[in-house]
Amino acid sequence: MKYRITHTTKYTYSEAVPVCHNLVHLKPRDTPAQTCEYYRLLILPDQSKVSERLDYFGNTAAYFAIDQAHHGLSVTATSRVSVAVAKNADTGTTLAWEEVQNRLRTDRSAEVLDAYQFVFDSPYVERFEALADYVRPSFEAGRPILEGVLELTARIHDDFKYDPRATTVHTPIHEVFEQRHGVCQDFAHLQIGCLRSIGLAARYVSGYLRTEPPEGKPRLVGADASHAWLEVYCGDAGWIGVDPTNNLRAATDHITLAWGRDYNDVCPIQGTIVGGGERKMTVSVDVAPGEE
Amino acid sequence: MSLSPLSVNRVIENYTPPSGVYDEFLEDERRPRPHTQRFLEAIDKIGRDEFVHRWQQARRTMQANDFAYSGYVTPEDTPRPWELDAIPLLLSPPEWKRVSAALEQRARLLNLTLRDLFGEQSLLKNGVLPPELVFAHPGFLRPLHGQSPPQDCYLHFYAADLARAPDGDWWVLADRTEAPSGLGYALENRVVTSRMLPDVFRKCQVERLAPFFIAANETLRSLAPRHRENPRVVLLSHGPTSPNFFEDAYLARYLGYTLVEGGDLAVRQNQVMLKTLGGLLPVDVILRRQNSSDCDPLELGSKSGLGVAGLTQAVRCGNVGLANPLGSGLIESVAFMAFMPRLCQSLLGEELLMPGVASWWCGQPQGLAHVLKNLDQLIVQPAFRDRGKDGPTRELLASMSKDQLAEAIQAAPHKFAAQERVVRSSVPIWNQQLRPAHLALRAYAVAAGDSYSIMHGALARTSQSLDPLEISIRRGEGSKDAWVLAEGPVEHVTLLAEQEHAITLRRSSSELPSRAADNIFWLGRQMERAEAVARLLRSTASRLTGETRSTSDLEVPMLLRCLADLGQIEPGYAISDMRGQLPAIEQVLPAAVFDATQPASLRAILDELFRLGSIVRDRISLDTWRIIHVIDEGFRPGFGGVATLMDLLATTDELITELAAFSGIIVESMTRTQAYRFMELGRRIERSLQIIGLVKNCFIPLPETLGPVFETVLEVADSLMTYRSRYLANMQLSAVLDLLLTDETNPRSLVFQLVQLAEHVEQLPRQETQPGYTTEQRVAMSLLNSVRLLEIQKVAETHSLGDYEPLERLAENWESQLPKLSEAISHRYLVHSAPSHQLADMSPQ
Repeated sequence: MKYRITHTTKYTYSEAVPVCHNLVHLKPRDTPAQTCEYYRLLILPDQSKVSERLDYFGNTAAYFAIDQAHHGLSVTATSRVSVAVAKNADTGTTLAWEEVQNRLRTDRSAEVLDAYQFVFDSPYVERFEALADYVRPSFEAGRPILEGVLELTARIHDDFKYDPRATTVHTPIHEVFEQRHGVCQDFAHLQIGCLRSIGLAARYVSGYLRTEPPEGKPRLVGADASHAWLEVYCGDAGWIGVDPTNNLRAATDHITLAWGRDYNDVCPIQGTIVGGGERKMTVSVDVAPGEE
Repeated sequence: MSLSPLSVNRVIENYTPPSGVYDEFLEDERRPRPHTQRFLEAIDKIGRDEFVHRWQQARRTMQANDFAYSGYVTPEDTPRPWELDAIPLLLSPPEWKRVSAALEQRARLLNLTLRDLFGEQSLLKNGVLPPELVFAHPGFLRPLHGQSPPQDCYLHFYAADLARAPDGDWWVLADRTEAPSGLGYALENRVVTSRMLPDVFRKCQVERLAPFFIAANETLRSLAPRHRENPRVVLLSHGPTSPNFFEDAYLARYLGYTLVEGGDLAVRQNQVMLKTLGGLLPVDVILRRQNSSDCDPLELGSKSGLGVAGLTQAVRCGNVGLANPLGSGLIESVAFMAFMPRLCQSLLGEELLMPGVASWWCGQPQGLAHVLKNLDQLIVQPAFRDRGKDGPTRELLASMSKDQLAEAIQAAPHKFAAQERVVRSSVPIWNQQLRPAHLALRAYAVAAGDSYSIMHGALARTSQSLDPLEISIRRGEGSKDAWVLAEGPVEHVTLLAEQEHAITLRRSSSELPSRAADNIFWLGRQMERAEAVARLLRSTASRLTGETRSTSDLEVPMLLRCLADLGQIEPGYAISDMRGQLPAIEQVLPAAVFDATQPASLRAILDELFRLGSIVRDRISLDTWRIIHVIDEGFRPGFGGVATLMDLLATTDELITELAAFSGIIVESMTRTQAYRFMELGRRIERSLQIIGLVKNCFIPLPETLGPVFETVLEVADSLMTYRSRYLANMQLSAVLDLLLTDETNPRSLVFQLVQLAEHVEQLPRQETQPGYTTEQRVAMSLLNSVRLLEIQKVAETHSLGDYEPLERLAENWESQLPKLSEAISHRYLVHSAPSHQLADMSPQ
């Protein structure tokens, strides 16, 4: 699949902002299944000096500052991305989850070491006792890891209610867990916490869903904004993406922007401003299928 | 000397070290250790009485100096964190050589470890360090990975806490790599102790601390990406609410750096700038005293409001040098201690020269098993240090039972580590006689090229308990100067290094941070307000105690009106009909004045004065600080805390004299820089307001009997002498008003203040390109002109005839214009920065 993506974030301020500093993760990263063919970042007020670098997780992070007084800020990322159909690992033949857990602890190869860092707590994913209890029924001894993961994905989808008004970006997962509702970010964090509770590696993926579904298919939840799901390290099968919000395995409808331990590592736009008075923010995302 | 040592050394005679520990002064059979003998002889020569006398004097000096308080918030509750002891610790030359070598090795090792972890991470790949040690560490700030600090040095300042075990060997208790504190205390201890015992100090040939600070200064300057010959170095402090603030201010002044807080800095075009009155000035080097995680709200997630947005990016661009670089605190955690021998082998190919206290990290199965099995003998601690914030956790752990501990550890093993308890050596401390206490030593290293310089000296810390240091310090500790003895005579060194090339002479410095100017401005205002209130109170108290030749009953009500207007007493006292229903003023007044919880009370004004003084400590002289300190100490109610009118009379008398000393030192000793101007602006604005208030409260409406009222007003306005010398006892309204308002020769008159204000405003830095006058210039000129053009005789005549309106209108006009002046100044120079916000995040859907 090929996509043309336009992601615009607009801030307006009631009072002038003399200076702002921003950090954005808006460039779709290349993955085994995904190639970013074109990418452009447009900033208004015009800001030619954008410093790009690869962050600790290999994502492109762009930094820019505006130090002329402004009443608004608009950041538009446009990109063309092609997503190949990934080799779909067979659920039943993936390694037993304990085996993956053990490999993470002992194997010091570059690949496993890289995965191992996603086993631990991170700012938005603090594990707690009840989480481990919740995850256990899906991971009986010797069960193929992907089977357990998919079952857990389905359970979260069923047990938790999607409610955009219930949480903010700062709602901790134990609150999400107690109140049983949230948005894609919360569900991703929650499932990441579950998997880490039993020593598995799970990372947070920030990205998009295609906006208009193929004919005859239902429109997916979260398709007109940025989306979030997670990937689980499955040993020989590598990283496999699952989307608890839609109870899906991530495939060609999911376009990856960046990954990290949690939202905090990869949030699409963050900024610090001085002044500004009342602030408003609007986001629009359009993911249109392009020519093959 | 070979005779019974006890009869020779009389001071040490009554000292009995505890058994089973190493004593720093006495060896077997209570014989003084050889390197202490010269010291003990010298002390004995001084004699007990003289020693006690000198110690008392030293303590008084300390009281009046910087370190009497650790924080300004509640001065009474927070004594000096480390009470200094009169007896220094003595360290022999060969011993210190060994310690120095070990510290140097350890500093190098920690630097290499940091470099690897923020770079290649081969230590994780090769299995030297368990990866989880880094991955689970909240202090491993990912955005800092891949930074390349100047000279590839990740650790410029390092400190180690050391203790001596019963066998005489030193052990490392903890590493401090984030921003080691205590240097200022070590310096202060040295200053006090060497002044108290100058003869002994000379005789013992003690190594100086100055070479360490010279090395530190050189290292800091070498970090400057540009302006190498004269870089701008700032000391970034956590601010006045931090327990380290006094030390920060002390160090900044000693080293000659500008003391700043996060709010004083800004990043523009990837360059760190200092916000000053003269605009933004580039900063080359930051001596960082706050935690890395507090340094950048954009990238390091600091929510404290202390950081500088964009700092991380400025560091990446190589535009600023930081010491220590961001992230250096990663390895000051106990969990790392367990791996030091292995790291040393791997990175240096050497054995550790000094062992660390046996430590286990529970994040590994072997460590966990050992800790759970030996909970009785071990001290359980948080594995990852959260500098300055984990005190409560430590206290909690210390109070937990064995079962509770085991449960907590098993729930999250990687969050815990445990250490063996060290029976620290003993050392005599002076408390009428010598008593033993346990010793820990904080020793310092600073990067110098590829190696490290070790400070010849240390902060010696003493405590009665053997608890871990983090806990014992909260329960009150002592400290000592540590004398590293030299093998021969010691050269005199000074920090004022000779300049290699001539410097350009300068008459001004534009580097007054806007925030400091703001504080100085308010210091000036509080000082004047304190004086005005004190004068009113003194006149009131003397009249209430009947000590004056007062003949009329008009003055006390008038004074009470003034006091009520200034918020010293309830407004009811200003209204004669209500006074009868209120408690007697004789009781209420003293209590109200000393009540610090009343925001306008004189005591509260003085608290604010002290607070402001302590914040701008690096900008005022030591003598000025002493006066502020004396003012703060002196203005207290008498015995039992119950204030009487007599107390009030006595303390206001003293206060007025001390405030005169304060203003005297400002006029005579403060260079006419911007700091001086802002102090003066504050003072003059406040004094103007006080004069106007006095005139309004006393002359509108005009009382029936004028003589005593005039006299009282002149007394409060400190102009009575002048008046008498001019007009003798002939009291006339026109003459009084002239003296108070329009007489340019009277430093207490309104016009005098306005002349000064106009001049200071004229001298403030401004952009020359802008045509015309600034708002503050215009307001100042219009105020001055309105007073100068006044026909005071005419005003007085009209007023005497009962038409109060003209004077009333004048007063109202002045009273409304002065705040405008204050606002205009503050708007242009002081409020540079509004608080910063995080842009609203929006959840992905």
